Amino acid sequence: MNKMSKWKRMAALGISTMMIVSTAACGSGSGGNSKSEKTDAKNQSKGTTISFWNSFTGSDGDMLVELVNRYNKENEDGITVEMDISSDFDSQLSTAFAAGTGPTMILSSSAYRFTYGDYMQDISDVFDKTDLDKDDFIQSYLDYCSEGDKLYFVPFQVVGYYMYWNKDLFEAAGLDPEAPPTTWEEWQTYAEKITDESKNVYGSGISYDYPYQIAHMMQRLGGLSVTDDNGSWKANFAGNKGYADFLTMYKTLTENGDNPLEADTDSMVSAGQIGMTVGGPWVTAGLDTAGVNYGIGLIPQGDAGDMNSVEVLGFSVTTTASDEEKEAAYKFIEWWNSENEEGSSPALEWSVANGFPAYTYSVQEKDEYKQSEKLSVMSSANPDAPTDFIVDSSFPGINDILNDVIPEMINSVAFGNMSVNDALEKAQTTADKIVGEYNK
Amino acid sequence: MKKMMKYWNKPSRSAYLFLAPSVILLILFSVVPLIIAFGLSLFDVSITMDSARFIGMENFVEAFRDSRFINSLKVTAIFTGLEVPLQVLGALVVAALITKNNIKNKFFRAVYFLPVICSATAIGIMWKMILHSNIGFVTAALQSMGLGKINFLNTPGLTIFVVSFISIWRSFGISAIIYVTAIQQVSASLYEAAEMDGAGKIRQFWHITAPSIRPTFWYILMTRFAGALQIFDIIYITTNGGPNYTTESTVTYIYSRAFSSRSSMGYASAMSVILFAIIMVVTVIMYRKMNQED
Repeated sequence: MNKMSKWKRMAALGISTMMIVSTAACGSGSGGNSKSEKTDAKNQSKGTTISFWNSFTGSDGDMLVELVNRYNKENEDGITVEMDISSDFDSQLSTAFAAGTGPTMILSSSAYRFTYGDYMQDISDVFDKTDLDKDDFIQSYLDYCSEGDKLYFVPFQVVGYYMYWNKDLFEAAGLDPEAPPTTWEEWQTYAEKITDESKNVYGSGISYDYPYQIAHMMQRLGGLSVTDDNGSWKANFAGNKGYADFLTMYKTLTENGDNPLEADTDSMVSAGQIGMTVGGPWVTAGLDTAGVNYGIGLIPQGDAGDMNSVEVLGFSVTTTASDEEKEAAYKFIEWWNSENEEGSSPALEWSVANGFPAYTYSVQEKDEYKQSEKLSVMSSANPDAPTDFIVDSSFPGINDILNDVIPEMINSVAFGNMSVNDALEKAQTTADKIVGEYNK
Repeated sequence: MKKMMKYWNKPSRSAYLFLAPSVILLILFSVVPLIIAFGLSLFDVSITMDSARFIGMENFVEAFRDSRFINSLKVTAIFTGLEVPLQVLGALVVAALITKNNIKNKFFRAVYFLPVICSATAIGIMWKMILHSNIGFVTAALQSMGLGKINFLNTPGLTIFVVSFISIWRSFGISAIIYVTAIQQVSASLYEAAEMDGAGKIRQFWHITAPSIRPTFWYILMTRFAGALQIFDIIYITTNGGPNYTTESTVTYIYSRAFSSRSSMGYASAMSVILFAIIMVVTVIMYRKMNQED
């Protein structure tokens, strides 16, 4: 009797297993045209709740909350986006992934694919499963979010660096307020003219503590710091004339008192104490709030040629997301980039309100966008210029270069009494070690 | 149920029940992470903990060859050398002045305690603005007094003193309050007897107060030592280790290795283990010294 019931139990277990496997097989079955896929997506994602993590803790975070709330209220699919904004996004994410959990969707720099690539889904089918038009997206930005054929991010924000100049200080120095410097020689000459020690005014505002700012300037003079050398990565610090020119310029400006030896130059820019600086679009918020009369333009190009270095932030779907959650995330991304009846879209609103250049042609064509002087300037870079930022865009160690090599190099020159060439040699040694690890 | 109640009702057993929440929390959030950190230090493992490779003591060897790590240990030692004595002795002096329970002293106790309950981020940002080389209030005030333009947060050799000052300012209130509580426990009859013998306030302090609060003194000294060796928040907010790494503490560097660049959890764990060993040695030495005195 006992033996019988044991066999019965085994048989029941076997049948159950087969049923589960066959059901799963049905669920994962592919096929059908894209239209039916879209319908499936709509049905699958109905009533789904997705988690959405990012690090937008600033004032733009308030706008993001507003837009997400609007989506939760307006969408007809019953999708709920639960957003978690954290200043400790990185450690939150790594801890979650290490524990085998994580959010459905994240918003981060596309460089995150180098660290968390194993936890990100290929979302190249987003253009098949939604009404988003791939051709509307500027290809170079999509390339930034891809590895080969795989797309890991849908662009959300393009962060370029620009030159800002204080028109009142230009005028006070006898310079034409509508004619910012176009070369680095002019930058130095203008800085000297603008500097007024009695008023604590400095002509140039380069911070030794802003590696992104330094990198944007450096690469215009000396090109990319890590490049592909026949299939292996190669660091280009030692003997780089452009980098040497930049470091010499920085050293001369600080020694002459035309540039403050200060980590926090953004506060000085907002206080109207800096003649010229280079920074991201967020600099305008401080300038606008303080009522500074300023101009915005492209960073002067140097010997390295025309450059349009940017960082692309985007939406990404993690591997912890189920099919339903992934479809729901696609719906949200689609909504973000879709026009309403008035011809506006969250992407357009975001771009205009926060001063970030658009990543789609349709947004660039909008009157609201064109009317913004700032956005027009930001979008005026040569579209054929390389968009790589400081390293070849496929090099995974960009954060190491920005956090370890560049700060060490600039600090050595600013405070360590190290010669420019020695600082570059030291940077080369550190960069070679990093590059060597990735070449393995 | 009754049996169970009876079993736990004995004082010797119920004590375990009262201890249990603390012990569980301690095991979960201190002991387990500590053991994991020890384990991780022997691996080459990234931030996401996947593809771990056992490398034995390599991380430790690398740490002692890493000039930034050695520098961070020196910075931490300097910071501790400045922060701990000034705080422990400064708080003692302040506590001696605000011991009596009158309104004035209660007001000052509240004022001194205020920074303790403020977030380190808010405090860091506040001091960063106050001491800014160009738009800072203190800098401008000193400049208007003809003391020149002092670049508090961007001068190697000076900034570590500034950061130590901010740290002391932020946390000496708690040390002072603990001292006040200890001083108030000293029997009033001892002071009365001393007064009758003609001892002045300073002699009373050195011969009655100081010996009576010795355990409290050791407690504050040990906790401040351990705290100073783990300094992170104030440095991270005010200088982020600059200028030229002259304020980069060990924990700041560990954080940057674990989360900002390279994401080497194994290497960061190895450095944490070294720091743990240093703190443990210092604490054990102090503990022995305290017991000897007792």
